[in-house]
Amino acid sequence: MSTVTDRPQLRIDWTRCDGHGLCAALLPGAITRDDWGYPVVGPAIAAAAPNDVRRAVSVCPALALRFGAR
Amino acid sequence: MTAVLDRASRSVASVPLGWVGSPRLLAGATTEDLTDYRAHLDRHGEPKWPDRAKLLSDLDAVGLAGRGGAGFPLAAKIRALRNSRRATVVVNGCEGEPASAKDTALLLHTPHLVLDGAAAVAAAIGARSVLVAVTDPAVQSGLQVAITGRPDAGRYQVRLVPDRFVIGEARALVEALDGRAGVPPGRRIPLTEAGLSGAPTLLSNAETFAQLAVLARRGSAWYSAVGTTTEPGTALLTVSGSVANAGVVEAAYGTSLAEVARLAGAGPAQAVLVGGFHGGWLPVDSSLPLSRAGVAAAGGSFGAGTVVFVGTDTCALAELSRIAHWLAEQSTRRCGPCAFGLPALADDVRALVAGSADVGLAQRHASLVSGRGACAHPDGAVRFVLSGLRQLTEELQSHRRHGGCGRPDRHQLATSRAAALNPAPIGGWR
Repeated sequence: MSTVTDRPQLRIDWTRCDGHGLCAALLPGAITRDDWGYPVVGPAIAAAAPNDVRRAVSVCPALALRFGAR
Repeated sequence: MTAVLDRASRSVASVPLGWVGSPRLLAGATTEDLTDYRAHLDRHGEPKWPDRAKLLSDLDAVGLAGRGGAGFPLAAKIRALRNSRRATVVVNGCEGEPASAKDTALLLHTPHLVLDGAAAVAAAIGARSVLVAVTDPAVQSGLQVAITGRPDAGRYQVRLVPDRFVIGEARALVEALDGRAGVPPGRRIPLTEAGLSGAPTLLSNAETFAQLAVLARRGSAWYSAVGTTTEPGTALLTVSGSVANAGVVEAAYGTSLAEVARLAGAGPAQAVLVGGFHGGWLPVDSSLPLSRAGVAAAGGSFGAGTVVFVGTDTCALAELSRIAHWLAEQSTRRCGPCAFGLPALADDVRALVAGSADVGLAQRHASLVSGRGACAHPDGAVRFVLSGLRQLTEELQSHRRHGGCGRPDRHQLATSRAAALNPAPIGGWR
């Protein structure tokens, strides 16, 4: 049985993120960009298909994204 | 209470001390030379060495929480240690918060209490060494002399790390101790799993260990005789700002703001900043109980126990703006939202000082910073700014209407410990 905390989550390593913006392009609606180009993860991320999220993780040029339980 | 300060080196040679009720940690510290190990034993008695089970039951009984600001229960940290025999005990004496001087005070004036506490933890968990990290060279040299007087002197190592605001953050400190830049790492791996040199690390604030030394000697029943039901014992407060006597005050948890104000000789104040520059601005409510729960109930954050009275004679909005810019400068600039967001937020506050009406701008920039960094700095800075704006509604109004409030910025929120401990005369000119 899975609990809320077990659900895989998209995490941003802010020390790596340079605001390239590929994640926002791949997950429009779920991820927007702030005034400086850095990603803002919105509540719609919960409804995004896990495969789309994994794709965003894999294309991040800064390797700043992780998708998992921890 | 007169501070002896070496302004040139920003080093603090002595900290004024006071107390409400009976002092525990600070007992004897103003009249005896407790840096001498014999004098320390005469004052506090022989140290006690509880085993792991006894230590944990004492800690659980009083709910001893870390005194660095986050308030994490020490017992939970000890239980989380992956392999305690390989562990190092680290005493965080860095005190990045300029308005805090309690750890400096302990390490300068009663260092053996801190060392006893750290040694007791090390003995209980089977760890070999104790490392004390400090930023002030005067504290470092004093500690080294004190340690040579101890029978277990070989156990301790004192390390000087660069003085900066974020160094107080536990993981940033471990990075610095490991010879890397002292900035928080991107991934949050608990120090109890992988800390110093990758080994499990038990790190806590200097006051936490001093409290533990008292608890181990006296037992949990005695320890809990003062304080509140949920927060037994005393806490060290650093009181500064618009006061006649700035310094470190030991008081039972739950002591009212009025009692601390009386002791420090606080002048008329328009607000009080509790919990430092990551803390919150609160109204001057004389009945405010100074405890983690009491301050939280008032919408603030107890943090490391700093209490700064913001007098009616200073432009509080200019103080807020100056510290907002200082906080922006303290960003290590590794995380974009903090590096760009905090300067933008500080500029928004500066515009409000100049008479702008748009508080919403600051609120929007604040929302873009919160929760978007590798450490607690962006969130703490936002808490400081937003609580200030909420508290200073009259100030904001007079700046909007008249372009100012007619008062100068008296620097009651000081950005160095030396300046915080040596306040300008109340109502006087700096």
